[in-house]
Amino acid sequence: MTEYSPFEMIAFTGSRILTDNTTVFVGTGLPIIASIHAQLTHAPGLAMIFEAGPLAPMLTMGMPLSVGDTRACHKACYLKGLSSVFELTQRGHADFAFIGGAQIDMYGNVNSTFEGGSYQSPKTRFPGSGGAGAMAANCERSIIIMALEPRRFTPKLDFLTSIGFGDGSPGYREKSGVLGSGPYRVITNEALFGFDDETRRMTLLEVQRGKTADDIQRKVGFELLISPNLGEMPEPSEVDLKLLREECDPEGYFLARKLR
Amino acid sequence: MKDQVQSPIGSVSSLAPGQARDAAHGFSWWGPSPDQARKTTVGKPKGLTDKTTTMKEAVHEYVKDGINLAIGGFVNTRPPVAIVHEIIRKGAKDLTLSFQSNSICPELLAGAMLLDPQHLSIKRVELAWWGYEVIGIAPLFRHLCASGMIELDDYTNYGMSARFKAAAMGLEFLPVRDHGGTDMELVNRGKMIESPFTGRNTYLVPACYPDVGILNVTAADKHGNCRIFGAHCTCPEIAMAASHCIVSTETLISLDSIRNYPNLTEIPYTAVDAVVEQPFASYPGACYGNYWFDMEHILLFRNASEEFRRTGNSDALKEYYDRYVFSCETHDDFLSKIPYRTLRRIREMDGGQPIILT
Repeated sequence: MTEYSPFEMIAFTGSRILTDNTTVFVGTGLPIIASIHAQLTHAPGLAMIFEAGPLAPMLTMGMPLSVGDTRACHKACYLKGLSSVFELTQRGHADFAFIGGAQIDMYGNVNSTFEGGSYQSPKTRFPGSGGAGAMAANCERSIIIMALEPRRFTPKLDFLTSIGFGDGSPGYREKSGVLGSGPYRVITNEALFGFDDETRRMTLLEVQRGKTADDIQRKVGFELLISPNLGEMPEPSEVDLKLLREECDPEGYFLARKLR
Repeated sequence: MKDQVQSPIGSVSSLAPGQARDAAHGFSWWGPSPDQARKTTVGKPKGLTDKTTTMKEAVHEYVKDGINLAIGGFVNTRPPVAIVHEIIRKGAKDLTLSFQSNSICPELLAGAMLLDPQHLSIKRVELAWWGYEVIGIAPLFRHLCASGMIELDDYTNYGMSARFKAAAMGLEFLPVRDHGGTDMELVNRGKMIESPFTGRNTYLVPACYPDVGILNVTAADKHGNCRIFGAHCTCPEIAMAASHCIVSTETLISLDSIRNYPNLTEIPYTAVDAVVEQPFASYPGACYGNYWFDMEHILLFRNASEEFRRTGNSDALKEYYDRYVFSCETHDDFLSKIPYRTLRRIREMDGGQPIILT
């Protein structure tokens, strides 16, 4: 049996979701690793967009450690600034976005602003929206990476930073003035989620080998919908792991971390 | 209810009543109004004069108590560290900081405030993100927030960029396609309206007109025409939005070079007030074509900050400022305390990205 870490599973799953000849707006860490893996396997025509300015760079200098750094800009096709790339998303040039955060609810809304206390006097302040709020609004489909814990998969966010389907009502996104179609997938190392077309609620699509839907529900603070075609998450092969460890993150900045 | 027109955010939000920004309270500019900003620019001589000066003179001329200070760069990319060090040495009270995403620059200002609020203080921050990316959260930002010491105004990275862009265009606001349907709609100073053409909900962000913009650029001539290689971040917009702009440049180039490739000028000389030639002006941040960021030095400062946040003990933080900021007269003094091998290594890590200086 192939041994892999939780982060390797997340990166592999992220790669699996991306399709060839599309663009993906990425943040630091696992999204970049997933996208490099996709480029090296099934999606050679995938182009990355980084929020500081570059479109379609060649990541041959090593993995960027900052979304504006030299490695992220190296040999890009187009390189301006934040306004330019976010305007690309408004105009429909960004097919996928990877975002993260501290909390997610059943409609795929995400908090990355604060937890506890009040907005002007938060108990734990996080860095803030950064690009995530704009990516969730206007990239066509957002993919959210989150650790599978009840305190993160919560019925009620302390603050809604990145828009999902809001309260789940059909016109929520349109009434909010945003353009993208919304949350598409939520990736954890033990489960992959999508969203139900009718109710826009989070739906369990795949579980890791050996896990059941009940195991996953116990780690989620709201009631999940379970896909009638519940599947098993494909696992990275030896070849995938070699690519992830030797090509995507050879310095081990993200994949070699231990899950807390 | 903040405004008449709104997304359905009220049905999802957890914010207690009273946390939303009170629309009845009225809107005010956190810096000059568009009219004041335009008047300042109109009143400046527009000749191709020599604007080169020392960092000390530039900062003393433009950085005053109570100003809105816009910080250029993006996280660890081209942060204007040399200018920030000088601002800390000079001191300034009741600052409003404006930026999209930044790391060490606002953290350095926050640390100076925590060590001596009579010397330097931050009153409020309009921002999208404050942290160190791969290196971790910003401990001093978290501390300031938890202590309720600064007023916050949150936008997305595009929101802050569009706010500077609106000011660069001489406008009061720009319509954007984000913020709506999130709690930022409730707490920030933007506003949802119905489009006058289609009736569809559209979010407006107010322009951000800083008093002073601070930037580090790849190359500039002595008049302030600037070239930026690598990510532009939001530097051109900030320069054009601000009433006054201080630019550090990794290298000075001639006006002839500028005239040979006018398309490469990202910031025109009329938007710049002071030019300071300073190699490694973003160190320990990165500058494309010159050097990568020095993660070890950033960690040195961050660890001292984290120790203060966790224990309240400011010894390590104070030692950092004494050694690297207050005991230095110039950025060159600071750089002389960084091992040559480190500077050489970060130069090599940039890989010599092609930049045009001719």
